[in-house]
Amino acid sequence: MSRHQYAMVMDLNKCLGCQTCTMACKKLWTDRDGTEYMYWNNVETRPGLGYPRQWDRSGGGWKDGELQPGRLPTLDDYGAPWEYDYEQRLYEGSGKPVMPSPDPQSGCNWDEDVGALNGNDNFYFYLPRICNHCTYPACLAACPRQAIYKREEDGIVLIDQERCQGYRYCIAACPYKKIYFNEITGKSEKCIFCYPRLEKGEVNACAAQCPGRLRFVGILDDPESPVHKLVLVYRVALPLFPEKGTQPNVFYVPPFNPPRRGNYGKSILEDPRLPLDYLVYLFGPEVKDVIRRLEAELVRAQNGERSEMLQLLIGRDAATRYRIPAREQLVQIKT
Amino acid sequence: MNQRGHLLTVLLLLMTAAPAFSQQPANAAVLPQHLRLKAAYSAQSVDVLLDPAAPAWQSTPVQRIALNRTPPLYDTEPPASLEISFVEVRTLRTANKLFVHLSWRDASADYADLPAVPDTPPEQRFLKEHTLGPERFFDAAAVMFPKDAPGGVVSPSLQMGDAQDPVLIYYWNAARGAMRMEAAGRGTTRRTGESFSARAVYVSGAWQVVMELPALPPATPIAFAIWNGSQLDRDGRKYFSVWHWLE
Repeated sequence: MSRHQYAMVMDLNKCLGCQTCTMACKKLWTDRDGTEYMYWNNVETRPGLGYPRQWDRSGGGWKDGELQPGRLPTLDDYGAPWEYDYEQRLYEGSGKPVMPSPDPQSGCNWDEDVGALNGNDNFYFYLPRICNHCTYPACLAACPRQAIYKREEDGIVLIDQERCQGYRYCIAACPYKKIYFNEITGKSEKCIFCYPRLEKGEVNACAAQCPGRLRFVGILDDPESPVHKLVLVYRVALPLFPEKGTQPNVFYVPPFNPPRRGNYGKSILEDPRLPLDYLVYLFGPEVKDVIRRLEAELVRAQNGERSEMLQLLIGRDAATRYRIPAREQLVQIKT
Repeated sequence: MNQRGHLLTVLLLLMTAAPAFSQQPANAAVLPQHLRLKAAYSAQSVDVLLDPAAPAWQSTPVQRIALNRTPPLYDTEPPASLEISFVEVRTLRTANKLFVHLSWRDASADYADLPAVPDTPPEQRFLKEHTLGPERFFDAAAVMFPKDAPGGVVSPSLQMGDAQDPVLIYYWNAARGAMRMEAAGRGTTRRTGESFSARAVYVSGAWQVVMELPALPPATPIAFAIWNGSQLDRDGRKYFSVWHWLE
């Protein structure tokens, strides 16, 4: 466990599924050889296959203090990257349209907006995902090279590219499948929580670019930070698959889930638009309590009272959504 | 030789090479452990000796070295059966080198023509090189011996040497080529960044690999390891021999 812990909260009620975060991350970090298939940040439609395909059923994580077996996703599970033959089609004038090659068969958010049925009604929502920078990272424990480390000062989990030998035990061990193997360098890579930006006082690129303003960033143990308030004070944000035992530090405000028919006089839990079982599957049984808290706060606001929690969730400006301490401050925050 | 050239060699020899894997029946008794490996002198050129199918190797006595699976290192890994029970070893000396010819049966050739990291920065290129198999592992072989002058009958720990007796590992990988490594105990293996000469062919269900090693003095302990990519072998998940001795 580290001295302090950076955390992110994502409000799923605000996610547009626009993939601007995905592209911000891609252009900044994974536009290199061997990284085309990687999306350190991805947004997937839920319910759905996920990226990589069926990652939520790929094992890994902890059970009774023991690492659990996991499988390595294949390139098809991620989606094979394709290129466009601009050279031949545009410059050499073959007269044919520019086409992707190889023919795309799967990919990140391939099942966009498919969702599932709740009775006769379709439902879906978007789930943005990055590395969870877990408190008890299974990847770190699985690496026989001790190539993975968790920074003492802020809890960010990184892979030492000098020590990594590309064995990929970490990928199997990560229950969220958020580590990727670069076959060209022979090393594994992952989201670095934009630590070079944080160290300059800039928020993560995925958060900075988000048009929906759904991301909140700060130190979890800093009482002034929005993530501390949402996770520990208002208790309206939960980690994904808490039963995997790694204690993620990315938290989600679950989809607010209004009633299917009519808004007045009905509880959210009474006739939910999304089956609650699915939210329980993702976030654990506490999600029902979270929805009750959110609903109670909404009722307060509807009755003309001021809700600090909803004001925070609206997150009008960067100062509300992010609290990025300078490195010196980080050391001074009391635990 | 760059890696594309390396694969080209593999492919060409796939078509032309005569199998040098010994014709002993597969169920022939594996020789007892702790062998003394005879390395006769050869006047052939380096280029000839690096060819696994060279006649010089056909006429060199072969010694069959028993292989073992490492015990399961991690509870999370699936168990692996003993698919490769031995490696056949031939050794020849020149004036200042030792050449080791390894051959072993492996039903699947797990290799790839991986592109090298291009010299031009990615942002200056239209197309990037792609990862094609994040889940695949490649066949490999290695020869390990003490880094310092051998002490006769005393050999370092088989688990990558130990602090008092560091080892050198000459490692060949079917996709990544030849790498020189050092270690001083389990978990300490590191790439030196240096390469060495090695050539390989895959013929009739068997790999043949020749490695050019420094001229190790007689009585040097020497051990062998084989990784089978299709069995998810990497790291200590591999086949290994006990120590043998050069004569």
